[in-house]
Amino acid sequence: MDINKRIRQFFFPSLTLKFLIRASSIALFAYLFFGHICTPLLIKGLSMEPTYRNGSVNFCWRLRFIFSGPKRHDVVAVRFAGNKVMLLKRVVAVEGERVEFRDGKLFVDGKEMDEPYVRYPCNWNLPPRQVEKDCVYVVGDNRNMPIENHHFGQASVKRIIGVPLW
Amino acid sequence: MKIKYIIIVVLVVIIGILAGVYFFQNEEKKVKRQFYLLSEWASKEEGENTFTMAHKVKSIGTLFTEHCEFKADIISFSGRFNSEEVSGYAARARLPFSKLSLQFYDLDVSFPEKGMAKVTLTGKLTGRLTSGEYVDETHELECVLKKIENKWLFSDVEVVEILKK
Repeated sequence: MDINKRIRQFFFPSLTLKFLIRASSIALFAYLFFGHICTPLLIKGLSMEPTYRNGSVNFCWRLRFIFSGPKRHDVVAVRFAGNKVMLLKRVVAVEGERVEFRDGKLFVDGKEMDEPYVRYPCNWNLPPRQVEKDCVYVVGDNRNMPIENHHFGQASVKRIIGVPLW
Repeated sequence: MKIKYIIIVVLVVIIGILAGVYFFQNEEKKVKRQFYLLSEWASKEEGENTFTMAHKVKSIGTLFTEHCEFKADIISFSGRFNSEEVSGYAARARLPFSKLSLQFYDLDVSFPEKGMAKVTLTGKLTGRLTSGEYVDETHELECVLKKIENKWLFSDVEVVEILKK
């Protein structure tokens, strides 16, 4: 009898002041946490394959760059006008560095980079260019496509809003 | 007696603020509606008939001013066009698609001066070409709309480059 009462109380709680405060606190916490700190992501597209699969779900951890800026090899979320749509890319160079591609190999300041996350063949060629102040150079892990079809390049650090949680 | 006047003043201020907020929200809603209409008319369902296509393409033109400035260097589309030319470009752009969807996200509307609205937003175009190839393009846009004869019309459209190769 007592158990039945407890179950009923759990699913149909009495609208007491205590219950309303508790429910409001949980709703506020969930709104702040999932709306501004750890936002859910649905990954669409092939540009980060095989590291992040098309259709997979993740969370964007937005406190990652509070005390430090993005570094090389970090996977970052780059925002557009707001936070509903963003690009998931990998930082390959930071401000002041020179980036280029030669026969699919990435060179930063003339030195060939080891990129174990790039699993598919690539034949890109891109003349060297310097990353501007307060910017980073981002590229997807899947470079098995013509260079014209891949969305990559220099992005302002201000547009980087977080990192995927895993 | 004094308290009575204070209450009246506070009430008048509150009503004024609420009226102001209501008025600006309404204008914002009207601006956002233009994007909703553009999205609806630009989008294309599979097997769309000729009448629907003609209606949608003609309607797209009505959303633009007579001298609308486009600046989209990324997709090599820049210049000043009138509403008929915009309809023509829209018709040609829709043609190779068997299915097309244009969605707008994160609309941020501001009113820098009377009769002018500046909107920053993300535009996402997804679709399938008649050749079977899938298209998925996302860009940040900056649009200026002008209020002409009580209608908000697109007067400037600029594609913002997020990643500079």
